[in-house]
Amino acid sequence: MQISLERDINEIDRIVAATRAYFQDQQLPDSLVPTVDLATEELFVNMVRHGQAGDARIVLEMAPTEGGVAVTLIDTSSDPFDPRNVPDVDTQAPLNKREPGGLGLYLVNLLVSDIDYEFRDGTSRVTFHARTGERDV
Amino acid sequence: MFEIRQDGDYLRLKGRLDAAQAAGAESAFADITAGALLDMSALEYISSAGLGLLLKTHKRLMGQGAGLKLVEVNPHIADILHYSGFDRLFDVTREK
Repeated sequence: MQISLERDINEIDRIVAATRAYFQDQQLPDSLVPTVDLATEELFVNMVRHGQAGDARIVLEMAPTEGGVAVTLIDTSSDPFDPRNVPDVDTQAPLNKREPGGLGLYLVNLLVSDIDYEFRDGTSRVTFHARTGERDV
Repeated sequence: MFEIRQDGDYLRLKGRLDAAQAAGAESAFADITAGALLDMSALEYISSAGLGLLLKTHKRLMGQGAGLKLVEVNPHIADILHYSGFDRLFDVTREK
């Protein structure tokens, strides 16, 4: 499966619809849906908000793997940014020390396995794998 | 799609609180002016954008003495709240 997305967070509805259709077509387990939805949204939103301005579209690909699915997002108009290298969030901090923000990629790194990142010639390509038996949510 | 509406003693959340929907829900959460019970039974999904909205609202209300209580939280959202450390910050229950 491959779809091309505008750099607009309102494209999340299309991502969700495409994911549902792909899961149904490939008979992938429903237990992976929340993890795939969350990780895909957080990585896409990060590309939209922190990538370069412009009309370049973001490509979403999904492919079946043993026991799950591999999800890839490709941004051809980006600065280098490795989503694996983000600061930890102190989830034990009291309320007065917590601030909105920073949780998205923290959760992605916690919930999915084998995140791959490559930056070449202005293009960022990130792939994550979701598999049954891992930390489903 | 995301909705928030008063339902008896509860504010009932319904749908998906993702990054796109959270932007539109800001004003509804800003309208909460006192401690509130949020019925999460029909909330299907929440991402970091929705978590940020809950945190911002809870901090504001706690500054006035009473925050948000999250009730009827479904299991996968309960997991997200736990991984985020929000179960330490909010009163979270699976039942009403």
